Amino acid sequence: MNLYELLRGPLLWLSFGVFLGGMVVRLALFVATSRKKDKPIYRFWSWKWLWLSIVHWIVPVNVTAKKNPIVTIVGFLFHICLLVTPLFLLAHGVLWYESWEISWWSLSEKVADYMTLVAIGCGLFFLVRRMVAPHVRVITTAADYVLLAVTLAPFVTGYLAYHQYFDYYTVMILHMIFGELMLVVIPFTKLSHFLMFFVSRAVTGMEFGRRDAPSW
Amino acid sequence: MAEKAAEFNPEVFKKTSDEKMSARLKMWLEMCAHCGLCADTCHYYLANEQDPKMMPAYKAKKVLDAIKKKGKIDEATLNSLYETVYGECTMCRRCTMFCPFGIDVASIISMARGLCVSQGKVPENLVKVIENYFAHGNQMALTQEDWIETLKWMEEELQEELPGATIPIDKKGANLLYTVNAREPKFYPMDIAHAVRVFHIAGEDWTMSSKGWDDTNLAMFAGDLKSAAYVSQLVRDAAEELEVKRVAITE
Ligand code: HEM
Ligand code: SF4
Ligand code: SF4
Repeated sequence: MNLYELLRGPLLWLSFGVFLGGMVVRLALFVATSRKKDKPIYRFWSWKWLWLSIVHWIVPVNVTAKKNPIVTIVGFLFHICLLVTPLFLLAHGVLWYESWEISWWSLSEKVADYMTLVAIGCGLFFLVRRMVAPHVRVITTAADYVLLAVTLAPFVTGYLAYHQYFDYYTVMILHMIFGELMLVVIPFTKLSHFLMFFVSRAVTGMEFGRRDAPSW
Repeated sequence: MAEKAAEFNPEVFKKTSDEKMSARLKMWLEMCAHCGLCADTCHYYLANEQDPKMMPAYKAKKVLDAIKKKGKIDEATLNSLYETVYGECTMCRRCTMFCPFGIDVASIISMARGLCVSQGKVPENLVKVIENYFAHGNQMALTQEDWIETLKWMEEELQEELPGATIPIDKKGANLLYTVNAREPKFYPMDIAHAVRVFHIAGEDWTMSSKGWDDTNLAMFAGDLKSAAYVSQLVRDAAEELEVKRVAITE
């Protein structure tokens, strides 16, 4: 088995496994601990406040969108490209089809190309902001830079591979390594927010809601 | 800030933080994106010329850094944590409203105050006040006679202006139990008279209680949740004993 096959086969399985398994464990731990130590969540459970809290932040209809429109717009562009591009990239779709004979809608290559650039551009905005804004720098740790790099690396290498800059095979190997690395670190770092966002918004929405106070 | 002599004990620190680490606190401490969007929502940040060290996530991070060391922290770190959690956050939750994840920095601060309590680091006045709740059922150490006398005195004063106005004490089955801040009978009894005036004119079916009448809970400010539960229970017990429908708290 060569390096490509290793990354395309067992290591891909492993990284999906760690990613999914890790998130399931995190959720399970949250539920188990919260039943003992966070009883107000269950005592004041409210589907209404749960949904209102999530909806107001998953679409930018909230106080922060008004107060910080630029960060909000860049943040939304960043995340849309981050999530949509890899899922709906034609080349990824082909791989899914090869393995499982499943397929779904995909982006045109041109659009995907632009979205990759947007993701990288927004990532660079966050990088610069992190380095220059004193109130962001003060809370920044090395992990924040590493995670931003780990998030952007699959996009940068993917872009280079598509345009066949440098040695295609090497770039593609790097792309796969970074992509799988990103999946693996998600459950163990702040990137777990992709799922915990919903949990946190829900509990805070209900906590504010039980006092009839909106959290947006 | 004056404080009780420190009894620095790493094991107790670790044990307390394990005990207090709820699922939500753990999630919040781990998930903060360090995005900085909460900075200019905090009055400490705004009032201190946008000092980055006053931004909410920084204060939360300070707590996380201390906890991560599993109690192996030095006095200076503990002192600095103490200054932050008592002196740089009113636990108002405004930052939570602006955080995209809704991270509750106030709960994190409250938890860290509890950690400081476990190390004997509590503002001296707060210790005294908490003892007052246990000894007298109110933070100002008013005796029951003082309390009843104050109410009678206010009733008399008020009757000169509003004949027929009364302050019902321990009236069973009333609609409303009115509770106050113990500073009112101690320093500003006229505040009670103002409320009575409103109740009288509105024709409210209300009462005050001879015990469990102080609605402040300064144990909560110390993150001392056991004492805080005791203090809340005092008012709850009064409400249940008098079989009132609601409890109103002073402004
Ligand atoms: C696997 C998916 C995701 C990845 C890899 C990811 C990655 C990131 C990264 C690297 C940052 C930090 C940017 C910086 O350095 O300042 C960030 C911030 C943030 N993410 Fe995500 N994210 C993901 C999914 C989500 C989802 C699903 C949501 C919510 C619906 C979300 C909400 C946020 C918010 C609110 C911030 C902070 C605000 C900002 O700086 O724009 N993320 N994310
Ligand atoms: S809860 Fe504390 S940190 Fe947050 S805005 Fe209020 S005072 Fe500032
Ligand atoms: S707004 Fe929320 S996620 Fe962002 S730095 Fe503040 S506490 Fe952390």
